[in-house]
Amino acid sequence: MMSDRPRSHRDLALSRREFIHLAGASLALAGLDGCTRMPAEHILPYVDNRPELTPGVGEYYATAMSLDGVATGLIVESHSGRPTKIEGNPEHPASLGASGPLEQASLLQLYDPDRARFARSQSTPTSWEVLAAQLAPAALRPRVGARGAGLHVLIEPTSSLLDEELLARVIESHPDAHIYMYAPLVGDRGAHGIVTHYDISAADVIVALDADFLSSGPFHLRYARQFADKRRLAQPTDAMNRLYTIESGFTPTGAAADHRFAVRPSDVAGIARSLQSALNGGTAGPPWLAAMARDLRAHAGRSVVIAGEHQSNSVRALADSINDAIGATSRITWRAPTPLIGEHVPVHSLTELVAALRTRAVDTLIIVGGNPSYATPAPFDFSVLLRSVPNSGYVGLYENETARDVRWFVPMSHYLESWGDTRAYDGTVSIVQPLVNPLYRSTTSAEVYAALAGMGLVGSYDLLRSSWKRRGNAEAAWGDALQRGFVAGTQFARAESEGRGSTVEGPGSRVAATSNPIDVLFVADPKVHDGSFANNGWLQELPAPLTQLTWNNAALLSPTTARRLGVGNGVHIALTSNARHIELPALIVPGHADDTVTVHFGYGRAGAESLARGVGANAYDLWPSTGVRFLSDVAITVSSKTSALALAQTQETMEVREPVRHATLDEYRAAPSRVGRRPGRALSLYPEIPASERSATQWAMTIDLATCIGCGGCVVACQAENNIPIVGASEVRNAREMQWLRIDRYFAQRETEVEALLQPMLCQHCEKAPCEYVCPVQATTHSNDGLNEMVYNRCVGTRFCSNNCPYKVRRFNWFDYNKHLSDTEMMAKNPNVTVRERGVMEKCTFCVQRIREAGIAAGREDRPLRGTDVRTACQQACPTNAIVFGSLNEPDSEMVRRREQPRSYAALDDLGTEPRVRYLARIRNTNSEIAGAKHDGGAR
Amino acid sequence: MPALFPRWTNGVARGSLLALVLLAAGVPAGLMLWVRTSYATGEHAQITQPVPFDHRIHSHALRVDCRYCHATAELAASAGLPPTAACVGCHNSVLLASAPLAPIRASLTSNKPIAWRRVNALPDFVFFNHSIHLAKGIGCESCHGRVDQMGQVAQASSMSMGWCLDCHRNPVSHVRPRSEITAIGWDAAHRGPANDSLRVRLAHDYHVQSLTNCSTCHR
Repeated sequence: MMSDRPRSHRDLALSRREFIHLAGASLALAGLDGCTRMPAEHILPYVDNRPELTPGVGEYYATAMSLDGVATGLIVESHSGRPTKIEGNPEHPASLGASGPLEQASLLQLYDPDRARFARSQSTPTSWEVLAAQLAPAALRPRVGARGAGLHVLIEPTSSLLDEELLARVIESHPDAHIYMYAPLVGDRGAHGIVTHYDISAADVIVALDADFLSSGPFHLRYARQFADKRRLAQPTDAMNRLYTIESGFTPTGAAADHRFAVRPSDVAGIARSLQSALNGGTAGPPWLAAMARDLRAHAGRSVVIAGEHQSNSVRALADSINDAIGATSRITWRAPTPLIGEHVPVHSLTELVAALRTRAVDTLIIVGGNPSYATPAPFDFSVLLRSVPNSGYVGLYENETARDVRWFVPMSHYLESWGDTRAYDGTVSIVQPLVNPLYRSTTSAEVYAALAGMGLVGSYDLLRSSWKRRGNAEAAWGDALQRGFVAGTQFARAESEGRGSTVEGPGSRVAATSNPIDVLFVADPKVHDGSFANNGWLQELPAPLTQLTWNNAALLSPTTARRLGVGNGVHIALTSNARHIELPALIVPGHADDTVTVHFGYGRAGAESLARGVGANAYDLWPSTGVRFLSDVAITVSSKTSALALAQTQETMEVREPVRHATLDEYRAAPSRVGRRPGRALSLYPEIPASERSATQWAMTIDLATCIGCGGCVVACQAENNIPIVGASEVRNAREMQWLRIDRYFAQRETEVEALLQPMLCQHCEKAPCEYVCPVQATTHSNDGLNEMVYNRCVGTRFCSNNCPYKVRRFNWFDYNKHLSDTEMMAKNPNVTVRERGVMEKCTFCVQRIREAGIAAGREDRPLRGTDVRTACQQACPTNAIVFGSLNEPDSEMVRRREQPRSYAALDDLGTEPRVRYLARIRNTNSEIAGAKHDGGAR
Repeated sequence: MPALFPRWTNGVARGSLLALVLLAAGVPAGLMLWVRTSYATGEHAQITQPVPFDHRIHSHALRVDCRYCHATAELAASAGLPPTAACVGCHNSVLLASAPLAPIRASLTSNKPIAWRRVNALPDFVFFNHSIHLAKGIGCESCHGRVDQMGQVAQASSMSMGWCLDCHRNPVSHVRPRSEITAIGWDAAHRGPANDSLRVRLAHDYHVQSLTNCSTCHR
């Protein structure tokens, strides 16, 4: 894969004459295309009977993906032994059936052709077996001492019971050895190991204090579902929760908010203090703060304040005491033990490892997972320190920055190839079950620890099973745990209140608010996370929520700040702090806090990953220390360089067409029909399809804009389900991205607040489809069950349909994007969907392959097909259940009930296209005491 | 001034114009005819398989049901080819040592599949599903012909889109009882208008629909 492919078309340097020659020749030869016979194909049946496997029928297995040490339960679809699609596990507490972009895209990581394939010692090929023998305690003791003082193991955050048990055995063999746990976005475990939980479904008023709890951090899928369930508004009179978001950047949680206040990161602590004093009758802080405090108090027992994971201890303590005061504690929020390991084995922090490295006390350092040479604060000089370690090894997915700095390297198995266990945020033990044998000769973390503990070469399945037995589990429960993907009833009990304290030693308290003109805020990237997903094309090309930026990171700043600095989109700015600097293009985000620059981690990679390399700037170069959320002593200089950002949407406002309708709850209640008003039926030249020709199921979709948070899970799910290629940054700049489903975002100003209006936009399956009229070869037609069909093998690529589509949802294959894919990437393709070639148009089909499969299953069982038999990929992934799909002929279905609400409307309905997709207008439950609630112009 | 070209060249000019028109019409027409030939469609093409499996013996003489080997026909899109183990179910006692069965022994010992050659190939953009056709009472022989009379199996019909649509537009005339799905010769024995009412009744019972949406086959 290449970021700017295909490259060849730009290398063509032809004279006009040569071009005419070639064009003539290709025209002449094009006719001969039909003269070839199909190549001879072979069928290779299995040798043995495989009763568990029916070729062509997908199989589903439960497993769990661990991100920053906490699990999300998944159900993975597999075809003939190759996993092809990831879905959330509906029974798992962290998923509830939903999945986000990272879970969806982790499939592509399994098949990444850049994954490391060979073990090596220096640059000599070796094998894990050889290296494992060198790691045995007897072999290591001469190096690391009888008590193992020279042995240091740095691992990724994990909650695996198996890993903890094996690491405890390592400590038994080497009592003075040290184990460190580090990931850039995870705080240190802390002495108490206590984390905060919320029950969003019990809250009517929520204040998010710089907390993106809806789209990042542990349990965000669950919180998003609980949040959305409280604002579905079946009737205008229904109750709705209210979310206040106080943040600096623009996150999905901010976009979902009823009131959003942009503040500088250095002001968050002050806001928290003012909020507490306002609850006690104080008058400090901005006017909205008092109104918000009154709202919290008025809903005492049903309101909560959520402080971000990365906030300083003082902010979190303030949030705790506010929650005590408003009766949220133990009702809506409580403490529970962290799922991360550390109870049975001492776990140290990265700073302790760096100190040990500096004193040259480390003889052997084994790094399992992560990428510390890249993802550590620049002042740590980790890369340099690592190179000075006499015996260093790394077990990882890629030959990345860390792999370059170590003496020996072993490829690590992807979670879809590994046996293991992990815990969800609430402690629920989840089983990691492989879907496929390891593609390369790789190993798992448990196998490494077993070798270190002197157990020799034991497979992780055997390790897991014996650990399962030792923990006193019944053998019979194993099958059940495997099938469900988790062990029910293993969540932690709530912690005693005296366990309260910090898990994260946040340094925010160390950096006092200053009069410095600019704050720089460091945040995880919503797509590539801490950089570990940087080589994933689906994620690189996913337009970032709200900024719509692809293939890059940028310095995000507000329009006011940009004006003050005199920069526009793409103008490079250099951020300098303590003689370290990074340079990256500016991107103006309406609603961003003034005098603040947000930079995302995860870019500027320099490993052997071909997609990730050279994309964006490395924010870790500016990061002073672990846990730092923002910097206040940054100097900004504007560079003369500019670069063209690959933005998937450059339009910022709706102009006059209003594809997104929105109103406040009060406006909606006052005049429900005005929100979803419909134009009279437009005249049409096209005949109605007679009822006798319509089939019993009439497919349609309803999307609730009041609950869409714009996380992008649906976009990646669609990409995975429908074999959608990635096109690279240069093609995104040409507006040639291929995603069938995009999330349009518009900004609207409401007094002082900037509101984001989000709209998942896909083929609207118009009943009077403008695309169908203009196709000269009938490659796009209407089915009798209401689908706007696209027939790739008929399409000749005139692109008339795309020109005539008012929603701009048709995508054209300008190049043969699949031609250069590796064999492994081809394995990720859905076998039930055509892999399109160059020169054909494509677009959302309402997952027609799922519809037809469901129809065939119903026919086989001799029962009528029901609308609820089919769930589209976007619907299945959606954490907030904003998307529902079904048949119009089933009036009792959720899909039809939703679209009969007064706020339902069709996008651009004045065109008379009669789309089958209906939107429910976005409703904000504003606080009438806050000025921003006054609408500029009322419901239109 | 003498004519630049002799008079007979008028005929040549007219002839060339006519030839040009004929060529313009004839080449596409010829190509369109060509793709309909059995050479282009692969109909009746003789394909030599690695093992000379004879359906006349297994299907006709021994009356082995189609689904013994093509086991997933009622369950999945693909009818399936038997695993090598299915052959050995009988051939551990019968003819195991014979020379034509050498590839089967080799497959068993090496644990490598036998590479059968595909006979009925559809383009990759066509998603055909066996199970729904059987469920709706369309028998094997409706598409695959008299396999029981084939020493070497060949494609029995053109498998062109027009051929598919012939039936999809009028499925009733091909419906048979589900119990007779694999029966060979059922169509021949139930020809004629006398059986029309039976077919209509079956089509009604099996909820047979005429599906001509593009996405029925193209996804």
